[in-house]
Amino acid sequence: MSRRYDARTTIFSPEGRLYQVEYAMEAISHASTALGILAKDGLVIAAEKKVASKLLDETKGGEKIYIINDNMICGVAGITSDANILINYVQTAAQQYLYTYNEDMPCEQLVQRLCDLKQGYTQYGGLRPFGVSFIYGGWDEHYGFQLYHSDPSGNYSGWKATCIGANTASAQGILRQEYKEDGVTLQEAKNLAIKVLIEFATLELVNGKVVRRMFNQTEIETLLKENNLLTKTEEAK
Amino acid sequence: MAYNGGAVVAMTGKNCVAIACDKRLGVQAMTVSMEFKKTFQIAPKLFIGLPGLATDVQTLAEKFRFKANMYKLKEERELEPRTFAHLVSSTLYERRFSPWYVEPVIAGLDKENRPFIASADLIGCLDFAEDFSVSGTTSNQLFGMCESLWEPDLEPEELFETISQALMNAVDRDCLSGWGAEVIVITPDKVITRTLKSRQD
Amino acid sequence: MDTLVGITGKDFVITAFDSKAVASITLMKTGEDKSRELNSHALMLFSGEPGDGVHFSEYIERNIKLYGIRHGIELSPKAVASFARRELADSLRSRKPYAVNLLIAGYDVKTDKPSLYWIDHLASSVDVPFAAHGYGGYYCLSVLDRYHRQDITEEEGIKLMQKCIQEIRSRMIMSMPDFIAKIVNKDGIRLVQL
Repeated sequence: MSRRYDARTTIFSPEGRLYQVEYAMEAISHASTALGILAKDGLVIAAEKKVASKLLDETKGGEKIYIINDNMICGVAGITSDANILINYVQTAAQQYLYTYNEDMPCEQLVQRLCDLKQGYTQYGGLRPFGVSFIYGGWDEHYGFQLYHSDPSGNYSGWKATCIGANTASAQGILRQEYKEDGVTLQEAKNLAIKVLIEFATLELVNGKVVRRMFNQTEIETLLKENNLLTKTEEAK
Repeated sequence: MAYNGGAVVAMTGKNCVAIACDKRLGVQAMTVSMEFKKTFQIAPKLFIGLPGLATDVQTLAEKFRFKANMYKLKEERELEPRTFAHLVSSTLYERRFSPWYVEPVIAGLDKENRPFIASADLIGCLDFAEDFSVSGTTSNQLFGMCESLWEPDLEPEELFETISQALMNAVDRDCLSGWGAEVIVITPDKVITRTLKSRQD
Repeated sequence: MDTLVGITGKDFVITAFDSKAVASITLMKTGEDKSRELNSHALMLFSGEPGDGVHFSEYIERNIKLYGIRHGIELSPKAVASFARRELADSLRSRKPYAVNLLIAGYDVKTDKPSLYWIDHLASSVDVPFAAHGYGGYYCLSVLDRYHRQDITEEEGIKLMQKCIQEIRSRMIMSMPDFIAKIVNKDGIRLVQL
């Protein structure tokens, strides 16, 4: 039955579903994991680093965490080439906003801009939806620290802690268990994130200014050591 | 070019550079603001001074901020002064037949902390200098002052004194510039920004 | 030519404009409103080519209001002024530029600071403690240089504005009968009697 409605992205099936969009989401659930945790004094975005081959040159840094703007970072799960297009689009949008208003773009508007583009691909014919989910972390003067998640359909939502990619269910289970009702500190959030993942970036306020920080290999190892997790991960490799 | 008035000067020293501007914005002879700065930070050790028509000064400052930010996001490193000079040049030449009315001065330290200064005309013809670059309605007076005050291998504090004296004494002979000045000295480990009071007439 | 004046104080901005509508050498009417409320805490005054002012300010007003409706948050005065400058700067390089001079008076409710932006027909924009457009500016800027302080109260602001207008009336060859004044503060925008 479903076959007849598969080929086109923009046609509803009789049950009212868009198969191509659902397949795109399925693609993401196989991608390596990325997570975000909102803290009282900052936030963490972390992503899993899969070493596909020893020959892979890792000097170029992360592939799954991007800087969008001075006040925003994001983690990616899904098809990297699709993500590159979207990241470039949203970086340009943020700079365009700065150009017109001389102020950083509010976080939710940035997320919305990207989701409007994603939504377009679920409606206009002949195109494939973007196979990527994002976790965005940012700060603005309106709502302070914020964490968002968006999927290929163009839906987005705000979170305290969330996760995308493979093993979402178990990772979210851990987050639900460990995330305290009244919020966590940035340090606690980092410790929590390191339990699950490897690539790292934080965003916090220092003297009223937003400070982004991408963690390099040695910093990540220090963080691992602090949490007595180094041996375990080394073995896993 | 002489509608709003303004002056910018840059000088090299020993492992340091300085760039300075006046702070006046006027409409011909009438002064409107004494807080209109004409230098803009592009990277930690790179500044651009934009004297000329105020509207284009602002538009270009915003354009260069846009382009420099995109460069930083894409390349994951800071802009080098020489790279930026060519970006300025091509941005200006894009409007060859209806130009932006500004004559930029660029000053910075490259990644080996070598001093770099350059200036361009309104359609982007670059002029790399070893000693000093001047621009704006006060450029003639500034040439005279720099020619007599500048010497090679000035230390940061000497460079500050030299560029300040050159700018202040030059703008006193130009009724379209002055009303306070800002001096920025860039050294390998810090950027020193100082505001000069100067004559208020 | 029309006159616009703006003065910032401790926690407010006072603005005034002459309310004459003129065609050639004839006074057509008084009581013309040369201002538009861009949002609850930003006011734009305009002068210059008749028609251009109304068209441009209403275009900006509606875009700023649309932003408020669309995103559920209001733009700060700084963002409003940047947006207006951008639009005017783009128009400057178009086939038929707007010939308008603007003053944007605003109160930033997030930082609790008043601000005044002077924007001319070439789209040069500066944040200033006080400003004026038109011939009136030649007279009242010197008055403001002498009497303005950053910490004046609303009553002092109104008095200072009256002093400026007095100077314009006594020195300018054109008659300047009616001025309309508006104040922007933390409570919003209101009309004041001079």
